[in-house]
Amino acid sequence: MTQVRLTVNGKPVADDVPARLSLADFLRERRNLTGTHLGCEHGVCGACTVLVDGEPARACLMLAVACEGRDVRTIEGLENDKIVAALRQAFKEHHGLQCGFCTPAMLITARDLISRKRAGSDGEIRKGLSGNICRCTGYTNIVTAVGHAAKAVASGGGE
Amino acid sequence: MSQAETKSRFGVGASLLRKEDDRHLLGRGHFVADVKLPDTQDVAFVRSQHAHARIKGITVPPDAKPCVFTAQDLPEIKPMRAVPQVPGFRPSGYPALATDKVRYVGEVIAACVAPSRAEAEDLAATVEVDFEVLPPVVDAAAAAAKQAPSLLHEQWPDNMFIERVIQGGDIDAAAREAEIVVRREYKMHRQVGVPLEGRGVLAYRDRRLDELVVYTSTQVPHTIRLGLSEMLGIEERRIRVVAPDVGGGFGTKARLSQEEVTVAALALHVDHPVRWIEDRSEHLLTAIHCREHLYRMTAYADRRGRILGLDAELIVDAGAYALWPNGPFLETGMAARNLPGPYAIRHHRVKTFTVATNKSPIGPYRGVGRPGACFAIERTLDEVARAVGRDPLEVRIENMVRPEQMPYTSVAGMIFDGGDYPQGAKLCAETLNLTTIRARQKRGEPDGRLIGVGFGAYSEQTAHGCGEWVTRGAPFIPGYESCHARLMSDGSLVLMVGIQSHGQGLETTLSQIAHQELGIDPVRVSVRHGDTDISPFGMGTIASRSMVMAGGAVARATRLLREKMLRIGAHLLQADPADVRWEDGAVAGPSGTVRLEEIARIAHLRMEQLPDGVDPLLEVTATYEPALDTGVFSYATHGAVVAVDPQTGLVEVLDYAVAEDCGTVVNPMIVDGQIRGGVIQGIGTALYEEIPYDSQGQPLAATFADYLMPGAAEMPEIKIAHLHTPTPHTEYGMKGMGEGGAIAPPAAIANAVRDALASIGAELNETPMTPRRVLAAIRTAAKRPAAPAAAGNRRA
Repeated sequence: MTQVRLTVNGKPVADDVPARLSLADFLRERRNLTGTHLGCEHGVCGACTVLVDGEPARACLMLAVACEGRDVRTIEGLENDKIVAALRQAFKEHHGLQCGFCTPAMLITARDLISRKRAGSDGEIRKGLSGNICRCTGYTNIVTAVGHAAKAVASGGGE
Repeated sequence: MSQAETKSRFGVGASLLRKEDDRHLLGRGHFVADVKLPDTQDVAFVRSQHAHARIKGITVPPDAKPCVFTAQDLPEIKPMRAVPQVPGFRPSGYPALATDKVRYVGEVIAACVAPSRAEAEDLAATVEVDFEVLPPVVDAAAAAAKQAPSLLHEQWPDNMFIERVIQGGDIDAAAREAEIVVRREYKMHRQVGVPLEGRGVLAYRDRRLDELVVYTSTQVPHTIRLGLSEMLGIEERRIRVVAPDVGGGFGTKARLSQEEVTVAALALHVDHPVRWIEDRSEHLLTAIHCREHLYRMTAYADRRGRILGLDAELIVDAGAYALWPNGPFLETGMAARNLPGPYAIRHHRVKTFTVATNKSPIGPYRGVGRPGACFAIERTLDEVARAVGRDPLEVRIENMVRPEQMPYTSVAGMIFDGGDYPQGAKLCAETLNLTTIRARQKRGEPDGRLIGVGFGAYSEQTAHGCGEWVTRGAPFIPGYESCHARLMSDGSLVLMVGIQSHGQGLETTLSQIAHQELGIDPVRVSVRHGDTDISPFGMGTIASRSMVMAGGAVARATRLLREKMLRIGAHLLQADPADVRWEDGAVAGPSGTVRLEEIARIAHLRMEQLPDGVDPLLEVTATYEPALDTGVFSYATHGAVVAVDPQTGLVEVLDYAVAEDCGTVVNPMIVDGQIRGGVIQGIGTALYEEIPYDSQGQPLAATFADYLMPGAAEMPEIKIAHLHTPTPHTEYGMKGMGEGGAIAPPAAIANAVRDALASIGAELNETPMTPRRVLAAIRTAAKRPAAPAAAGNRRA
């Protein structure tokens, strides 16, 4: 066991973890933050995407011990985030989700695209989302929703 | 608010936003892996590394013994035995844990239980299995020709689940009349469904209720309970199966699995909850596989390209076992009967071979047998058109069943209930802007790529009732669906249904039906599904049936509630029951109205105000079967525009259009979402997804690095156009449509690739159309001596 101290959704957390425990399992099993989903556990599907020090990261490929001193934010920690609020609204209005399994990570990746101003065109959004697999929607409605959310954020909306 | 206004906002035909969305958008969905119970331990399985081997012995280290379970430790489990009512079908037991033999890589041999999955995997690594390796059966075509190197099921004379001829008309007459003969071989390779949430099972014993509780990621909770009852020998009343949020299914989660049975059995042997959460490699290797079809087609046609008859051999590589409850012939029969497509073909003979091989068992995946059949007939139709020197779209339209022929009984005995198939094809071409594409094609591309356009059409049997399932020989008949409706004392409504919604939005659309019948605001309706303790028995969400079937059951149940409320309302208004009517959520009579909420309160809390002979409560259970039990047929034409790079073999889908008709649409937003999702899965079949096996029966795609999934960057937007032909046989005229999107993309894209490569003379008759296969087809064409295509095919 190794002690790890980190910030999760704004709160300091300390825990003893096996060295091989992934960040995703740490969040899901130790912190009960089950909005971080596991779709492949080898870094391809993107369903486990969280923010580590503000940047999207695959929680299945990171070890919990590697997060010592870092700031981790999951979908549950983005309830009051303005960009995510705009995305939620747009995903609902444009039917950007079906089964909902890829959705939390899709929101986190899309939030990153919007915050970096990388959601200016459908092509740019599609490229930006290429690391997140959705099996249900066929992507079109997700791309539309992200585009709308980006516009809403740019025009100062987002609620 | 008038009835018309309420209909447009919430009822049938409204794009009501989904009730399901909020929890998922907040990361508060609740999937099996999210269910937290104290002291839960994880299961990892010891699986076969060999395709075909005898188990000589299993050695478990002594200190691991209490935590490792083999078939010997769980002797109460009976093998899963699918016995369809199909003459000539050879049943075979599928043990939950392998006993004497393993028959595919990944088959479960032992279960290891530990506090975490990692520790359970450590345990699994200590278990040694002594195998006597046997020659594997990998090539289904060779096995169909009785040239397999060994027998999978030694009590059988060969490796055939079933050999059966499906035919109609007189194929010899078609052969005699034919002016054109086209022969081709088509192959659709093996795939897996890949819902983004894999499978998962959590089971525990509830001592207070004396029941076994099984959370499982399934589309069919009631059927799973039935299976567990049979395999474990426990009465159904003592088993509760819950499917919470399910992260996609597509058929992959519609059969009983080894893992479900084993984990449920384990829960009765240990004193804590146990769970197994599938990892992606397990999914790719061992979840239900699908699609592996080989077609050898001969089409007889006249010189206009009108197809007179189809003579085919169909070999379905069914894998090692028959999945409970239906087995693999469902796939074969469906493919054979759909082979004539939406066309007025009068002669048809398909010799089918459903072959056992040393691969994961096949089962349903969106479209089931139809994507393969559609691929085979649609490619053939294009080759017939090319052989007679005519445009494939024109020839396609001329061959289609015409609206004035409806209802039309196909040569395979399916009754197309209505619609305008030719108009669908024309609408698709318009939506795709065919003239513009043809102009672009003539100009040529600056980057040297070749542009092509292709079409694929189908008619899709949905929401079939009793008769159709009896015809198919299904052991259970999913010809109906159920709803228990409970109007609460405050006038809010709970609908308890036997289906399982896992992305289809049925919590929303069933509320729309309740609104349609009762005028109740959908926000005051809860839809409860996926739990055997909550709803009446139901067959689950499969076969494009839930909206028609469960929607029909909700319509019936809510109408029964309405009738009772009319009686109570008339009494309260002191009116003759004949003088009152239902209006905007109230009973309206000559002297005034009484609202649903007031009637609900009285029915529960003030029984002295009820009329004589009317019982308290507002609760009903209804079942529903469509009036026509042979199914209602949705139909569509898909069109694809592709660019093929002749240097690299890469195919890009530039544009894609769907023109479809699923009758009355309850929620257009959701229907379009289902179409788009299906099409992208079909593009996966067409271009990317494949589980190849090597000659030793080793699967070669075990991760997403080997198994390519369609991603946002490569996928086109999908243009959709609708026709609306309500069917008289269902509530509101709706038809099922959940699977359709996935049926035609391989056909449309292959025809588009053929069109792009027409100048080279190359054709692609195999999916997925990977760069390697495209280049191989181009090389083959280059080697072939040039021959006038049409003349080469014409009869001497």
